[in-house]
Amino acid sequence: MVRLSRSECHQVAKVLQSYLDGEVEPATSSMVAAHLETCRKCGLEASTYRAIKAAIAAGAPEVSGPESDAVERLRMFADGLEQGDGPSGHDH
Amino acid sequence: MPSSAPDDGPSPFDRYVVPEIPVLYRVALSLTRHHADAEDLVQDTLIRAYRAIDRFDGAHPRAWLLTILRHTHLNRVRVRSAVLLADGDGVADTLDRLGSPAPAAEEVVVSEMFEGVVAEALAELPEKHRQVVQLVDIEGMSYQEAADAIGIPRGTVMSRLHRARARIRSRLAAAGLTPRKRGM
Repeated sequence: MVRLSRSECHQVAKVLQSYLDGEVEPATSSMVAAHLETCRKCGLEASTYRAIKAAIAAGAPEVSGPESDAVERLRMFADGLEQGDGPSGHDH
Repeated sequence: MPSSAPDDGPSPFDRYVVPEIPVLYRVALSLTRHHADAEDLVQDTLIRAYRAIDRFDGAHPRAWLLTILRHTHLNRVRVRSAVLLADGDGVADTLDRLGSPAPAAEEVVVSEMFEGVVAEALAELPEKHRQVVQLVDIEGMSYQEAADAIGIPRGTVMSRLHRARARIRSRLAAAGLTPRKRGM
């Protein structure tokens, strides 16, 4: 196991959120993953951001009611386009 | 007009566009903040996509559709801006003005204090920051997809998103809700 320096913690802190979002290169991802296994401070930080992301997602309203009705209407609208119902005179 | 579907499979429109309707609607809602406006915006986007589907190469349909959505939205805002504003302050300001504040924290049903603080902090974020949080953390978009949806560089999405979450984290720390350095 590699002993990690404070500067490595600093490097990880800079890319931590991108790492949690799956937005870093594989090599960076491996480096961060290895660091988080050995560094409690950064591990706690990662846990906090994971929890924040989860809480944000949990707080999102379900797609229901007006939203699901709208999506259904839009699907029907798309069907209509394919069946030649429109769109006449609707260009922008 | 787009060519009709072959007998042995879905048309390109069915394959690339129709599955993205829920995402398009949610993004449209985040841009317009009004259900009726969002539905109109997606309808216009579908029309444009239908007309352009023959020229679409099939790569990255969501990014392609989000770009159409964004252009369509900007056109609609410009038209509205010309009507509402004698001397417009610019598209960005208009976009801000069109958006009403996010639901107050008390409207968010949460049972845990952690989620409550997160929701509260999220609601207090600047609109531009909250928008990227919504697209990435709720809609599950990549940074590039969110950038395509809003029409800003990927790096700007990243900086807004990271700053937004860091602010939420600070609120949690102030409330004593961040993990402590005790045995995990």
